[in-house]
Amino acid sequence: MPFLLPMIVLSAVFFVAPLVLLAFISFTNSDGFGTLQNYAEFLSDDFSVSVLLDTLRLGAFAVAGTTIIGVPIVLLHWHSGRRMRHFLVIFILLPMLTSNVVRTFAWIVILGREGLINRSLIFLGISDAGIPLLFTEAGLVMALCQTELPLFILPVLAVMTRINRELVDAAEVSGAGPWRIFATILLPLSLPGVLAGWVLVFASATTSYVTQVAIGGARHIYLPQLIYREVGILFNWPFAAALSLMLLLVTGSVIFGLAMLSRNRRLTTHA
Amino acid sequence: MRNNIMTRRGFTTALAATAMMPFLPRSAASAGRIVAAIFPNAWEDAYRRIIGPMLAEKGIELTLAPTLASAQLAKMMASAGNPPFDTLLMSPGQTAVAAENDLIEKIDPSRLSNWDQLDDAFKSEWGPIVTVEVNGIAYNPDAVPRPKGYRDLFENPAYDKKVAWIGFGSNTATMAYVQLASIFGKGPDDMDAVFKLFKDYLPKVGAIAESGSQQMTLYQQGEIAVFMASTNNVATLKARGVSCEFVHPETGSPAVPVAIHLTKGAANADNAYAYMDATISKAAQDKLKLPPTEQIPTNKNVEFTPGIEAYVTKEQLKTFVYLDWAAINKHRAEWTKAFDRVIKI
Repeated sequence: MPFLLPMIVLSAVFFVAPLVLLAFISFTNSDGFGTLQNYAEFLSDDFSVSVLLDTLRLGAFAVAGTTIIGVPIVLLHWHSGRRMRHFLVIFILLPMLTSNVVRTFAWIVILGREGLINRSLIFLGISDAGIPLLFTEAGLVMALCQTELPLFILPVLAVMTRINRELVDAAEVSGAGPWRIFATILLPLSLPGVLAGWVLVFASATTSYVTQVAIGGARHIYLPQLIYREVGILFNWPFAAALSLMLLLVTGSVIFGLAMLSRNRRLTTHA
Repeated sequence: MRNNIMTRRGFTTALAATAMMPFLPRSAASAGRIVAAIFPNAWEDAYRRIIGPMLAEKGIELTLAPTLASAQLAKMMASAGNPPFDTLLMSPGQTAVAAENDLIEKIDPSRLSNWDQLDDAFKSEWGPIVTVEVNGIAYNPDAVPRPKGYRDLFENPAYDKKVAWIGFGSNTATMAYVQLASIFGKGPDDMDAVFKLFKDYLPKVGAIAESGSQQMTLYQQGEIAVFMASTNNVATLKARGVSCEFVHPETGSPAVPVAIHLTKGAANADNAYAYMDATISKAAQDKLKLPPTEQIPTNKNVEFTPGIEAYVTKEQLKTFVYLDWAAINKHRAEWTKAFDRVIKI
């Protein structure tokens, strides 16, 4: 217990207390009196609700994208020899060694009209003038999939390394094909890792202000941008606090749902 | 040998002591220093290079905190009574908010030895005006023809998909929108006319960026060829070898004085005065007027460089459009919200 005391104190002072303060402010008006006005204003405003839904959709796209890209990499790692596995781990971790701001600005160069993708499309004759990617939701999802990919892959790898390889050998001996082995052994046993990865990617993508602003531009408005406007431009802190709490509650609910799924024994012990 | 090995307890204590340093009373850590908020990038670089050594000669350590004006306000509001900065750097849009919220105090000009060298127009009770940013239109002469003014950007197809705009969080953009309201509407307050204009114009917009610095990144990448800018923005791009020219709109160039303010309850007020004095001195402004900053001098003993005179002469400064920021601030929140609703995809 004495060893836990510093952590408990730090969490209480720097996490719980600011959160309580945030919640308190969200229930006040500009004169400091208690009110539900900020939440009522948010929920009755179609624009604010659409921003919230867009934020959730962005998180879902990022989760789907990282899963589609990440699963083949994870399977490659599973089937590879020791040297290749080391290489893959370095390859996965490499983007995390640079700042998110640097990675995001690199994507501006890649997605631009004169960028790598458009130059390639023009060179290959697929498009005459390139396609707009910067300041589009598609471009933003592409950038998020790359920046958030390690957050999906690492927990899945951690779980998969604990899977008993003899199960796969036994299935092969019994005549099961690769797809059947994937669907009945690897997927169910790695599901806790997949769900943990989804939680991390979703939480990070929905709150990634820098990437949303730099790649999405000002016309794709997500909740972190709306919060920044209310804090730094409009100085309406009670409403900003309400928005922050809404973001926390909604993303928290999704994360809680995924966490509950990962604890479902029927789902994760199917094999 | 064992005595040289740090114990776990010793290591934890040292770590805790280091972690607590930022929470020490400011007076304990602030002898002979000043914390000045400054705009990021070009301003920060210039002040570090020019003003820093001038103060160091007087034994004052200059700590520059690169912060946008709106963020300066937010941080000041969040720490009322214990300001994180000794001085702020702002234009009138934010100064009005700072004064209204009691975040800054009027200065005592008798404590500034260079005060009388300022042109009368640049003496403000809230602090010395250190430069004037003249705003207009920046364009790439290799990509588009020279625009005549704001109207041209909406009516000439040569600018389709080439022009970038920003929201009302930016002073530069706000000034352009006020001008547009006069051109396309009934007057500077008729922002509904601007919103209607944008609703129809959006399919032809090059980009709507989140900030001025993002616009400059897009310009450098060739994504856009025109944006609303100050002469300083253009000077910065030119200094980086980027092809960029400045146009005074035919309806007049909006100008913004930039001033240094003393924060209410500043921990290092004496050093703040020394900082202001150094910034308006002839020695400092003779350097600040040179590229890459090319700041327009406010010290009347400082001559304009040919580079600055290419944008603006001393006589022209009086003819520029100085907006009523108190009136603009009354509408700014509502305009910001309305603009978001118009542009959102």
